[in-house]
Amino acid sequence: MFTSSRQSSSKASTSTTNFFYTTPPSYELSLEDFESFALSRLIVLRKIEELKVKGLDRNQYNDALKRVVNLQLPSSGPSPSAKKHNEKRDLASHFILRLAYCRTEELRRWLLTQELALFKFRLEDLEKRGGKDMSAFMKNAGISFDKITQDEKQSMQSQLRFNMSYRDFEASSFYRIPFAEAVDLIGRRLVHVRAGMAYVPGGKLVSIICARFRSHLSRSLAKAAASFSHVSSDTRIGPLLKNMNKQYTGRDFGKQHTVEGDMNASNVDEYAQRSMPLCMRQVHDGLKKDHKLKHDGRRQYGLFLKGAGLTMEESLLFFQNEFTKIMSADDFNKNYAYNIRHSYGKEGKRQSYTAFSSTTIIMGPRSNPSEVGSHHGCPFAHSGDASLAALLGKMGIGGKDRDDIMAHKKNKMYQLACAKHFEVTHPGAAKTEGVDLDGVGNHPNAWFNSSVQYWKNKEPAKKDMKGKINTPMAKVERAVVSPGSGTAKEVV
Amino acid sequence: MPALQESNAQKRKPEEVMEKPPLRSSTASIPISPYETSSSKAVTSSKSSSGPQQNAVVFSPELLRIYYDRLFPYEAMYDWLSYGVEKDFFNRREWSFTIQPTPEDEIYIRYQSFKDLEEFKSAVIKRQPNKIDIGAVFTHQPKDHNNLSKDVFHTEERELVFDIDLTDYDGVRTCCSGANICNKCWKYMNMAVKVMDEGLKTDFGFNNLVWFYSGRRGVHCWVCDESARTLSNDARSAVATYFELPLENEEKSLDLNTSLHPMLARSFGVLEPMFLDHLVGEEGMGLLSNQEQWVKLLKTLPEEARKAGIAAELDKEWTKRDVSPADKWKMLKSRIEKETKKEGAKKQRKFKGDESERLEMWPIETVFRHTYPRLDINVSKMQNHLLKSPFCVHPKTGRVCIPMDVSKIDSFDPFNVPTLPQIVSELESYAKENGESKNIPDWQKTSLKGSMQFFLKTFLNPMKNEQRKRRMEEKAKEEAFTGDF
Repeated sequence: MFTSSRQSSSKASTSTTNFFYTTPPSYELSLEDFESFALSRLIVLRKIEELKVKGLDRNQYNDALKRVVNLQLPSSGPSPSAKKHNEKRDLASHFILRLAYCRTEELRRWLLTQELALFKFRLEDLEKRGGKDMSAFMKNAGISFDKITQDEKQSMQSQLRFNMSYRDFEASSFYRIPFAEAVDLIGRRLVHVRAGMAYVPGGKLVSIICARFRSHLSRSLAKAAASFSHVSSDTRIGPLLKNMNKQYTGRDFGKQHTVEGDMNASNVDEYAQRSMPLCMRQVHDGLKKDHKLKHDGRRQYGLFLKGAGLTMEESLLFFQNEFTKIMSADDFNKNYAYNIRHSYGKEGKRQSYTAFSSTTIIMGPRSNPSEVGSHHGCPFAHSGDASLAALLGKMGIGGKDRDDIMAHKKNKMYQLACAKHFEVTHPGAAKTEGVDLDGVGNHPNAWFNSSVQYWKNKEPAKKDMKGKINTPMAKVERAVVSPGSGTAKEVV
Repeated sequence: MPALQESNAQKRKPEEVMEKPPLRSSTASIPISPYETSSSKAVTSSKSSSGPQQNAVVFSPELLRIYYDRLFPYEAMYDWLSYGVEKDFFNRREWSFTIQPTPEDEIYIRYQSFKDLEEFKSAVIKRQPNKIDIGAVFTHQPKDHNNLSKDVFHTEERELVFDIDLTDYDGVRTCCSGANICNKCWKYMNMAVKVMDEGLKTDFGFNNLVWFYSGRRGVHCWVCDESARTLSNDARSAVATYFELPLENEEKSLDLNTSLHPMLARSFGVLEPMFLDHLVGEEGMGLLSNQEQWVKLLKTLPEEARKAGIAAELDKEWTKRDVSPADKWKMLKSRIEKETKKEGAKKQRKFKGDESERLEMWPIETVFRHTYPRLDINVSKMQNHLLKSPFCVHPKTGRVCIPMDVSKIDSFDPFNVPTLPQIVSELESYAKENGESKNIPDWQKTSLKGSMQFFLKTFLNPMKNEQRKRRMEEKAKEEAFTGDF
């Protein structure tokens, strides 16, 4: 992959307009930059994938993409040094991701699809700006098209102009391109073809250049795959490259969030009824039923609750309430309390752990809840079709909604199923003010946060959860609930 | 040595059954009985020069054996498919055989490959296949494919091929259906060949192409230019869809609009006269020759025409006085033109595809619906599609798959194509009269002579000359570079 000639000037490799990526960078990169550049680009490419399934119209798509590109991979900058840094990031990140995504057919295809979409987005933008910038780009990318002369254009007018207005025809340049490079246009009969050459008007060049980019990148990726094992043995970057596609790119729910409506031991139930994603709901229900959880379930649920704002004290209280229905407080303290404190960073190496993202739950090392009595994992990914359908039904989700969710499950689009579940249980969420749907389906805590925001906005008259809890009746009920006795009553 | 072992010849190996490529265009399981008497269509050839009439049998293992022994053009095929490359090329071509060891058993063997002409010839003679298919040139010898992983063994190149079959015209031909053909509906093939031949040569610049009669009810085109052989699946798919119109659904509109692609405009120019010559009259499909038919055609006019009462008007006129079918068409067109070129009509057009445009395009759509080539697109799209080999004998008709002279396509008669019994008997007659002469190739002693000479003169020799020239040029360039003169 790094065999392209070194003769092309440093101009080509640093020029912003060369997003054709003909030449890999030749400068050095700190490990930190290596990782952070790659992550920035990954955010953009994941966003592209996300936007594609949302079924937006062209303008919405372009606007949304523009926002994330300007944030993560800006091409310009306030100062020349900033600009240079941005160019460095764009170029390096592309080649780093090539490395990370070249090793299997599936990863290569993924990268190709998203990079092509990014390329098309940038190229269309460039084409709109037109003229010199476009020519400079083509030159840098080594694309030369044979423009036909005015005389030729006039003599072929009736064939060239068959699908153009007279005005457009006059204003257009036509390029003669070997037909095999314009297959898309040929197949759709959009251009005139003669003697093996397609006659392509300037406006349709984007399609052809995209095809070129695609085959160029596809070839490069295939070549890179051959050298991957050599590169991945480097201990500095090997692990990062190998795990790149599993990287979580959303918000970090490691720190405790104080969401409005603080969670505490007594209101976890209430939150579970309406604001928890299905995976956590499932664990919660399992906990309630069995009065305990296996290790994976404790981790998954415990960290989630932490990310949702449950303090360590409240978490200890909550789990103790439940566990001590089948064991003594002493046993609980001996066997389980330490781990809870540990996950909050108060024991051992004092590392505060981060709540699991959806990817981790679906794909993580011990994610398959095959043992009896397991309640962890992702219900969309790990439950059988029949049990999931029944579960949804029990929650009052039926008909088309349930079918849509099941369809996503069948297509292995588990995160879309989860997002759909949110949509169905929070009608009108997309239009509700103050509700940010970013991350729903990608992280249980995002689902949770968005849900809490939603209910808060929907029910401004009612007091928030904290306020409810402090009604006199609730206070009394709470006082009744103490470790080892009774169940926490559901406050409605 | 072909992959299939002798002892397994009787059994249908599971992988062979699965190997049957779903992409093959002809029907796969032909229940052939070599002892079947021919249908009335596949009768004796009426060539006066042929010997005693063979009515009963058009195809038999005995006749086939003589054909493979003496008449099948192995050298020409080898010459052609080597494309001037002497080493390590012909041996990577996939061949497949359909053999019938007993009347009930039909076996299809894929991934055959032969290292040279000798091996090819002896395999065919040994196997006596009822049908031979030609596949792609692979990265390795196909007979070794089981030892190689899919990543490593794949297609490398393959001719661009087209297959047009009369059964795809069942929606518009009223004379025959299914496997039957007649001289009337054969005209559709002439039309298709003309359009495709011109398009492939003029638009895509292909030079080395040859058309073959498939032996029963269709034609095949083999485009052999190097640029064609190396086309990716996407590219050959694009070439095929460039020509394609959605004609399979007789009810669905072709969605043509006034921005008609130059190729379609040109094709219309070729097809309309043939439409008039061969389809509208009683001697054709009778589209405009009797009232029942013309009313049916007028019914396909768009709503706008009905509003203007065009159908009623013309129906009345044509019942009143005698108008030739061709004239009817002209009247129809001018009446439509009057309607669509009315003052302000064009300005009123709100959008492309609206009623008045549909009316304007109706004559073109109608001609296309009845004449435009109906391609079997799957045949052309993929490199690994297998297609019947030229010069095979069709088991059901006994006719040889001979090349067709496009310049004389209008006079091609599928019922006058040399048949197996005919040429075998011609061989025998020649021997009786002249003894077993070895001075001329056996095919020259039969009705195959014309076809073979055409094949060599018009297709194979020019292509070989081109290849030779190119190789000499390359060699000269190389020598100039290294300084060897």
